[in-house]
Amino acid sequence: MSLSTLFTELGSAAKTPTGLVPFRFREVGGDILLTNFLGDWVFVTKDEFRSLARGELDPGTKLHDKLASKNFLRDGLDQAQAAERIAYKKRFLNWGPNLHIAVVTLRCNETCVYCHASRANMDAVHTDMTPEIGEKVVDLMLQSTSPSVTLEFQGGEPLANFSVMKHVIEYALARNRAYGKGLEFTMVSNLALMDEEKLAYLVDRKVQVCTSIDGPEHLHTKQRILAGGNAHREAVKWIERINKAYIDIGLDPTLYHVEALLTTTREALKYPKEIVDTYVSLGCRAIFLRPIDPFGFAGKTAQIVEYDRAAYHEFYRAAVEHILDLNRRGEQVLERYASIFLTKIVADDDPNFLDIRNPSGSGIGALAYNYDGKIFSSDEGRMMYETGDPAFQIGDVFSSTYRSLMKHETVRALVMASIREAQPDCVNCTYTPYCGVQPEHSYRTQGTIFGRMRESTLCAVHKGIQDFLFDKLRENDPTTVEILRRWTTVRARTHFIHASSAS
Amino acid sequence: MSFHLGEGSVRIEFDEGLYPKDAIYGAAYVFIDRCWVHLDRAGDRRIQVTLKAKKPGADTQAFAGEFQNELLGQAWRLRIVEENKKLVEAITARALGGAAGPPGLDELLAMDIGEETAFEDPLGIAMSWEEKYKKKGKGEAAKAEGDASADVSGGEKA
Repeated sequence: MSLSTLFTELGSAAKTPTGLVPFRFREVGGDILLTNFLGDWVFVTKDEFRSLARGELDPGTKLHDKLASKNFLRDGLDQAQAAERIAYKKRFLNWGPNLHIAVVTLRCNETCVYCHASRANMDAVHTDMTPEIGEKVVDLMLQSTSPSVTLEFQGGEPLANFSVMKHVIEYALARNRAYGKGLEFTMVSNLALMDEEKLAYLVDRKVQVCTSIDGPEHLHTKQRILAGGNAHREAVKWIERINKAYIDIGLDPTLYHVEALLTTTREALKYPKEIVDTYVSLGCRAIFLRPIDPFGFAGKTAQIVEYDRAAYHEFYRAAVEHILDLNRRGEQVLERYASIFLTKIVADDDPNFLDIRNPSGSGIGALAYNYDGKIFSSDEGRMMYETGDPAFQIGDVFSSTYRSLMKHETVRALVMASIREAQPDCVNCTYTPYCGVQPEHSYRTQGTIFGRMRESTLCAVHKGIQDFLFDKLRENDPTTVEILRRWTTVRARTHFIHASSAS
Repeated sequence: MSFHLGEGSVRIEFDEGLYPKDAIYGAAYVFIDRCWVHLDRAGDRRIQVTLKAKKPGADTQAFAGEFQNELLGQAWRLRIVEENKKLVEAITARALGGAAGPPGLDELLAMDIGEETAFEDPLGIAMSWEEKYKKKGKGEAAKAEGDASADVSGGEKA
């Protein structure tokens, strides 16, 4: 029985039982998944769903008890508790932008097939951020209403403008004495320009390091060209060296290690297990199986690197099944997408991941500062500017005030466009309580920040992943469910927080 | 709904009772990069949209289909937004208000305070209690409330 067949069969006999709260439904595996506005979910059998569709829901039945226990019945719903739960999960709305991305240069020493950042050649020093612009970035960042802020250095390759990065870090530490915010630094680097002196500084100033690994060496080096060197070997060498430096200062290596990110290209789809094994061998505890973005150079190389999302889902399922197998054998490793969705689905919380948030984090969750001082609603918005579209520029460090950025008409539009309950498709989607979009992605791929979700590759990815996760929950294998539950546990990396007191 | 294919163009007619005019505008707007778009009234409560391709060789039948789907999406979006207007407004206000926070020192410093404006007192801070809260007639009270809300929105803009 497909759902459409059921309602065709029932015709005018179809009616909803009284007393149910509004819910959405979807067939997953052999059963029907119901979700409500609180994010509660329950699986019912097709027979049970047929009863519901006929308006039959008698007290004392198994179905009635099941729905009552999951807040699907109006009578038993504790409204005060429901309001508290929603407020708690949406608490990020009171925080303001906590992620501040500073592109300290566009120069880069590697050439990547999927480069999103629109790199410049190493002699293009005019794309270096100046110390003065860096200071203004910090001044604006510290105005954020968020009690904690992360300054993320990106490029190009940020190590190519290391002197300015250092200056900005010192300036931020000094300025934060007056603000007392929880302050963190991260750097996204290919590591090929790293040396012992830079490493000592980064470790001393507690700068978290994140790099890119595409998978095994043959795949990585095919996609990331390092002039006169081997991009994979350089990255691996420094990952191991940095991880050792953390151990040397007494940090727990299971919590403190270099994070690596994957960009899944068409070529990568062939190697789900090999990619996972590469990450595990490098000591990574989290693998983010991100599909390719349509930004930057990737928009131009799409014919080489893009793929059908069904192929991505096949890759994702194979990789995560392998990760689950490793967990069953005692290896502690998780997939980041799964962790984000599961935190919402089984842990009844929101991890504040900006691209899968409702509303999204564009502007109100993150800001991106270009090397020249221009400010964007997100790094993707900045990438679009670099390829000729200034739609997401919301100001510049020279003339914008913090409040003018937050109240900018573009930010306002992005917030409204990313509220899922007001969008076609999403309004009826079973996964709305857990999902979110990035309006810049819709604009880039479809020409509208509102997006047409049934044609959106991002929506397809999110739906496919949630289908997979809910199917695992439906199967209810105790070991697997326990592993998935464990993926929602957050261990804070307090060592990296500069928690200076305001004086 | 009916459509007529011409050479490099397509003409589509809609019943205004089924499709709100705003939805037709919204759908038409999506095509302005690819087509010359003309809207006209074809009869009582009927609107005619003409899409003329900017580039030769365009598939105008596909334009017609795409326009109809876009129009359906626009009409539905309007309805959803109308039904969820209060929710959207509440979330947006909370999101933007929470992120922007109250006016800070930088905004107060950025205020234009010169010789001419130094003695302006829009919030009535310099007024005595008696002056500010003296009993008013009904008409005056209503005017005062209007003034106060104007002050608030002015403060938001500052």
